[in-house]
Order: sequence, then C-alpha cells, then structure tokens
Amino acid sequence: MKSTLGKRLQLGTLILLYIFLYAPIVYIVYVSFQTNGVWPFPPDFTLEHYASLWHDEIYREGLKNSLIIGIGTAALASLLATMATIAILKYHVKGRMIMTGLFLSPLFIAHVIIGISSLMFNKNVLGLSGNIGSTILANATYATAFAFLVVLAQLARYDWRLDDAAMVFGATPKVVFKEITFPLIWSAIFGAFVVSFLLAFNNLEISFYNLGATPTLPTLAWGSLRHGVSQELYALAALINLVVFVFFGVLYAMLKSGLLKLDYKEA
Amino acid sequence: MGIVLELKNVSKNYGKVIAADNINIEVDQTEFFSLLGPSGSGKTTMLRIIAGLEEPNEGSQVIINGKDVTHAPPYQRGIGMVFQDFLLFPHKTVAENILFPLKMQGASQKEKDENLKWITHLTQLEGLENRYPYQLSGGQKQRVALARGLVSKPSLLLLDEPLANLDLELRKKMEIEIRRFQIELGIPFIYVTHNQQEALTMSDSIAIMNYGKMEQVGEKFSLYHDPDSQFVASFLGSADSIEAEVASVQDGIATMTFHGKTIQARAHNGLKAGDQAICYIKSERIRMEVEENPDAPCGVVLDKIFKGQYIDYILDIEEGNEIIASSGTLSQIKAKDRISISWDPQVADAFPLPPKDPS
Repeated sequence: MKSTLGKRLQLGTLILLYIFLYAPIVYIVYVSFQTNGVWPFPPDFTLEHYASLWHDEIYREGLKNSLIIGIGTAALASLLATMATIAILKYHVKGRMIMTGLFLSPLFIAHVIIGISSLMFNKNVLGLSGNIGSTILANATYATAFAFLVVLAQLARYDWRLDDAAMVFGATPKVVFKEITFPLIWSAIFGAFVVSFLLAFNNLEISFYNLGATPTLPTLAWGSLRHGVSQELYALAALINLVVFVFFGVLYAMLKSGLLKLDYKEA
Repeated sequence: MGIVLELKNVSKNYGKVIAADNINIEVDQTEFFSLLGPSGSGKTTMLRIIAGLEEPNEGSQVIINGKDVTHAPPYQRGIGMVFQDFLLFPHKTVAENILFPLKMQGASQKEKDENLKWITHLTQLEGLENRYPYQLSGGQKQRVALARGLVSKPSLLLLDEPLANLDLELRKKMEIEIRRFQIELGIPFIYVTHNQQEALTMSDSIAIMNYGKMEQVGEKFSLYHDPDSQFVASFLGSADSIEAEVASVQDGIATMTFHGKTIQARAHNGLKAGDQAICYIKSERIRMEVEENPDAPCGVVLDKIFKGQYIDYILDIEEGNEIIASSGTLSQIKAKDRISISWDPQVADAFPLPPKDPS
C-alpha cells in the first residue's frame, strides 16, 4: 500500500514539474489564437495575429537577422571550443589550467558589458560601426565559453589513444579526425552548436548595442513592450516553440530509428 | 634471416625522468621478442618509440627493414600494433575494425574480402563480422585487436600488454594462440609485459628493463639460468636471497660464510674475498634434507603450502632468514620439521652487496 502511495506522490510531483515548466508556454500559445490578449476568457479563436505577423515585413527581417546571428555564432563558437578542447585534452598543452580558466571567464561577464564594450572597441579602435558581423563576433565571446564547457565535459570521457591506434594503422591526422575522432565526438560538438545557437538567437543586449535599429527577434520583442505587448509577439513565440519541438521531435525519431547515433557504448 | 628492427642508442626523457637510457636492440625476422620489466621500467615507452607515437631524444635511431624511420610519423611505418585495453573503434563493426589498416592503404574490395576471410579464419572470428565491439566478450575483443594488427601483413607486430585484462584461463589460451600466429606469419612480434610467465611462455628472446635501462637481453633459457645482473637474478622466477661474507673466489665460484656455514655460488661483478655478498637461488633449486647437516645452513619449516603442481615450503634458516623452497608434490617434509638446505653452486648467483645507507 505504501509503495502505491509513494508512486502516486512521485507521479504527482512529476506532473507538477511539467506544469511548472510548460504552463507559461501553453498559455502563450493559447493567447496567440485569441482575439483578446488582455483577458482571453471565454476563448474566442482567431488566426489574425498569425496573418498580420506573416504580412509584417519587420518580423521577417528580425527572424532573418536572428537566424544569421544564431547560426554564425554557433558555428564560430563550436569550432573554437572544439579546437581548444582538443588542444587541452589531446595534446596536454602547457598551461592548460590557465587556458581553461581564460576560456571560461567570459561566462562571468554581463552581456550588457560585452555589448557596450564591443561597440566601443569597434568604433574607437577599429573605426567600424556595429553590424551583423560584429554582433556575431561579440556573441561568440561568451558563446565560445558555453560551447567549451559543453564540449569539454563530453570529451573528458573520450579515449585519445584511439587516435594513436588509428595513426599506427596508417591514418594521417586528417583521416584520423574524419574516421575516428569526429564520428565519436560529433554529438558533443552538436550539443555545443545548439547551446550557442540558442544563446545568440535569444540574445538581446549585445544585439541591441551592436545593431541599433536593425531588428532581431529579441530587440523587436523588447521594443514592442514599450507600446504594450502586441499579439503578433505571442504568435511569434508560439511559432518559435513549434520549430523547437519539431526539431527535437525529428532528432528523437532519427535516434530511435538508428538513422543517427548519438553515443557509442564503450568497447 | 634478416634483421627487421634495430634500435641504436635510443634514449628518451620526460624532463628529468629517464624513460629509456641508451637502448640497443636487434630483432630478427622470425623472433618473438619480449620487453619484460616492472611497471614504470620504460618498456611501453620503447614500444611507443618503435611505433612512432613518441619521439626519442637526439642521437637515437630506429631502423625498420634497413630504413631509418626515427623521424617518420606512425602512419608511414607499416607496422601493426595490439594495444592494452584493445582500443577497438567503438563505432565500427568487427569487419570495419579489422579492415581499417587495409582501408588506409587504399586496398581494393577484392583484396579486403580475401584478407578478411583469411584473418577471421585464423583468429576464429567467423560469423562475428557485423557485431560492434561492445557486443563481444573479452577474448573476442582480443582476437579482433590481433586480427586488426595482422591483417595488413605488417613487417612487425607490437603488442602492449595485450593479455593484461583477461582472466587467467583465457590468458593461458591466448598465450599459445599468439605464439602460433607469430610462427604462422613469420614476422617478428615485440611483446611488452610485466608478467614473466607470459614472457617465458611465448618468447624466443627477452630483454629485461628496469628504470629505463636494459638490464640484460638474450635467449630466455640463458636469461633465466645465467643472469648477468642482480636485478635479473632477483626478478626472474621465484628467487630467494641470502646475505653472506665472501671467504674466497676461485674459478668464478665464490665461497661464502653464512652464520658459520659454508655456501657457494657463481661470483658476479668482480666479487672478491672480504666483500659482503647477496646470493640468489631459485626456489626450485633448493634441496631440503630432514637430517641436520652440521656443515649446511639449517632451519625449520614454518609452513607448507600446497600449490597443485608443486609445494612451497616457507623456511626459517639460521634464525631470521625466511626463504621459500619449492618441491615436488610427493615430498614428505612437514611443517615444524627441522631441515638442512643445499644447492648446486652453478645455479646460484652472488653479487656484491651495495654498501648500506649510513642512515
């Protein structure tokens, strides 16, 4: 009897946890389909916010810019993080403790500071005005630190002697990476890519200082706050959530079917 | 038969730690050659230098089939290797693992098919080609590692403690198999181990290493019976040691006094009258007699340990010297018996005892 009670409590806690996590998201999706955003009860369904979102040029522009910033930052950050991890874990470079510390320290700098300082550095030292490129670079500073953390944690388990073995059997360093290292560590790099993409995609402060009036989704959302939350924003949030769920759904299906392999059991 | 591998003056140090100290080795075409030593003796470093995974110090030379490969990267050396912990590629099937060296050489599909058939037959891996490493037993992984090392018919195969992670029964079986592969393929195997039983079972020649130094190289029988150095005499087999004072040395035989009794052994390292000596005798060479011989070292049997193939007697000789004597299983000597011991001077080895630290 006790065990049934325990199980019910466990299940109850789990359900509460999910409600805690998803209630705000579900609410936003619900409101995005309502005519009245301030007090959407009783429900009155409509698609007009999605229609106006679709026709609003500025949201499309913002989405495009955010995607460019997200993908650019993610590519740069995961590349740098992977290279740094390999140097530290595989080649045991000298001073690797200090290097690790220096790679991680951008985590502790407020994004506002990175935003302002990169704007000032670009303007005063390089004589450049803020643009998408400088936004990507500024985002990559702390995103590299996050990506490094992700890759480092995963690759700590990787047995670099496998690379030695491949080399003895005739593989040049390039081939070793293609045949052995990358197939075994891609999931870590991919994880770093996803994390740094999400960080840069959602970043407000750095984009705001570097881009000014050029819209990204977070700057649009923040800007629209000043005029009261428009319901297009709810529709936008709902769509972004949809994309994220579809992405992970597809990933899950690919892993389930064996089309994609995330991790290998130890030999 | 030609020399396949030559190491000339090979040294390697990591900062102040000397891992290899002026090593010279020649390995013949058909030789099973073991590098034997305690852990940290530098034997794995030697193997990594031969493989090209470690660069030796200036002045060292590694020559394979007459070609100086000292500075050549591993992938240009054309050698096979079996690693400790197997190091199979976890994301590749058995067949892909085995064929990896041939794939790197750009072999044709036909060549790969033929070699896979040959090597899986030799190593008894038929039917497992499509499994992944995690689906294999320890012995099967070991065979895959061996097959991968041998598939490209390399000019020599390096083995780094390949049996260390297998249980005793499997290890004994693999020892015999590995030796069979070596004879069948007619290529030299360089085998690193800290297990002297393994080295003695499989090898033709053994090099004994200690603190990065080569203590002695030679055919295994002579190494066991004619040790050159104190380390080899004490390391190989189960050796008892006795400290004694040298009375005289004649024709290479030292006569020593041990608690008033006379004992004899071959003299090494310039041992001379008046020296303190340490004398090594293999346990199985010690003879025991139940009657007390007033001229021979005497003592009492502390314990009798039945080991199956033989019996170990723990003896206390002349009060305070504990030694082990191995004997046939039919020996009637019992615990608490008083005995005297003796040995043939030609199978015992005496070395000058290093002066004791004043501390």
